[in-house]
Amino acid sequence: MIVATEHLSKWYGHVSGLNDVTVSLPAGITGLLGPNGAGKSTFMKVVTGQLRPSTGSVRVFGEPIWGNPSQYRRLGFCPEQDAFYEHMTGLEWVEALALLHGMDHGSASAAARRALDAVDLLDVAGRKIGAYSKGMRQRVKLAQAIVHDPELLILDEPLSGMDPIMRRRTIRLIKDRARAGTSVIVSSHILHEIEAMTANILLMHNGRVVAEGNVHQIRGLIDAHPHRVSIRAEQPRALAQQLLAGGDDVSSVRFDGDAVIVETPRPDSFYARLTEIAASGDAGAVDEVTSPDDNLQAVFSYLVKP
Amino acid sequence: MTAPLFGPTRRVFELALGEMLWARRTAFMALAAGAPILIAVMTRLALVNGSAVLTVNGSRIGTQAIFETAVSLLYLRFIVPALGAFYGTSLIADEVEDKTITYLFTRPIARGAIVLGKYLAYLLCVVAIVLPSLALVFLIMVPFANMGPLFGKVLTDLGVIALGLAAYGAVFLWAGVSFRRPLVGGLVFVFGWEQLALVLPGYLRYLTIAHYLQAATSSVTSVILITIAAVVLAMRTIERREYVLEQ
Repeated sequence: MIVATEHLSKWYGHVSGLNDVTVSLPAGITGLLGPNGAGKSTFMKVVTGQLRPSTGSVRVFGEPIWGNPSQYRRLGFCPEQDAFYEHMTGLEWVEALALLHGMDHGSASAAARRALDAVDLLDVAGRKIGAYSKGMRQRVKLAQAIVHDPELLILDEPLSGMDPIMRRRTIRLIKDRARAGTSVIVSSHILHEIEAMTANILLMHNGRVVAEGNVHQIRGLIDAHPHRVSIRAEQPRALAQQLLAGGDDVSSVRFDGDAVIVETPRPDSFYARLTEIAASGDAGAVDEVTSPDDNLQAVFSYLVKP
Repeated sequence: MTAPLFGPTRRVFELALGEMLWARRTAFMALAAGAPILIAVMTRLALVNGSAVLTVNGSRIGTQAIFETAVSLLYLRFIVPALGAFYGTSLIADEVEDKTITYLFTRPIARGAIVLGKYLAYLLCVVAIVLPSLALVFLIMVPFANMGPLFGKVLTDLGVIALGLAAYGAVFLWAGVSFRRPLVGGLVFVFGWEQLALVLPGYLRYLTIAHYLQAATSSVTSVILITIAAVVLAMRTIERREYVLEQ
């Protein structure tokens, strides 16, 4: 395991940041999902040794991280905060931080250029960071995190403020790094961003991990919750009648215009039967089937619903 | 789990030296170092022209005496402690407030090296500005013919001022590492506690830095010990303390 925590809690005075978190994060990309205030940033700060656990333990590559600076040779961190030495150029800044990894000036300069190139900032590397756009500032933060080719990248909301094209390129960069052997822990409160990078996710809410595993396992957890499906049909009432008559996979039905809204506790069985009904034509044509539950957003919303 | 100190300290020193030129407090330092020179030029011009005569108890005060007063009152009691407070407290506190400390804390270097590198950059910076300022004031105020006998005294003054910058900077570095907003406390210490303790009878004066820098009681060993103790304390404090950056 790359990162392992046991009964990890972090308190800020009387406020809980993390609450009894026990997780083992494997190699590869792990997505950390949760709304603002869920504890994602606190988790990352503890895992990167910036904060000390109040109780419990955290191990990175099998070793403690707090007070163990040699671990940072293997770890790169891209923080969420928009903080820089504004008067420095992108190249100067990334190079200065590379020097703190013990590189000589020549190696640090070359590594900084490579990192800036990887995030598509080489052409503006000589410009002061203070003059960078929000997206460029996000990318230069990413550059300082990868400048020393770490084995583990920890990225706190790295796509925030990026335009769609750069977002896509950054996702590609992260996936390429992972394919090359770098493990990545990446946080976001936007689910499709994480979904684009990995199926292995950790859902957090109120300082707790509410679910972990791959997307399919999490969808399995969701099957315990009612799964909502909206069906636009030629004869909605006839369709509803057929659905209710057919078995125990429908828990409720209501109408919304020409759509039937169905809640089902067993989506697989329900979808199979719906396909049969549509094929038979007994309830007229079925025009459109949509389900918010097909989107990871709905999975997340379900799991964090109080 | 111990990380090397020398190499990382040098790297942080280089980074911090560049940073210091852009620090918010640099303007204050330039003002603090430049003001005595301006005052010296004006005083000298006034005295040379005869448009002003300074007397104490009916005795005329020469430029040499004015220079000595400037050293003890302007430099040692104001400029040196003020620079120490303004700069020393900011060395780490500014990085925490600006949230740039994260980039330093997530490098494979001991946190103590960050403190030491920044402190040495501070020391070089202030010494390089304040000592030439004092030397210039000396050259402006003291007539050329009187310079020879005073040369040794001026060298001592320069040394004491350098020691003062080291000691105040170190103590306020520790304060900056230990407290969230240390500047107010630093100014109270310098302009409140030290001024008061020095005039009160008893042993309270031993709890000031100014006491050890005063000519009559100067103790190089004490000042060096205070400096080393404060820097070591700051290095140990930062290793143990966690900094919660406000979101």
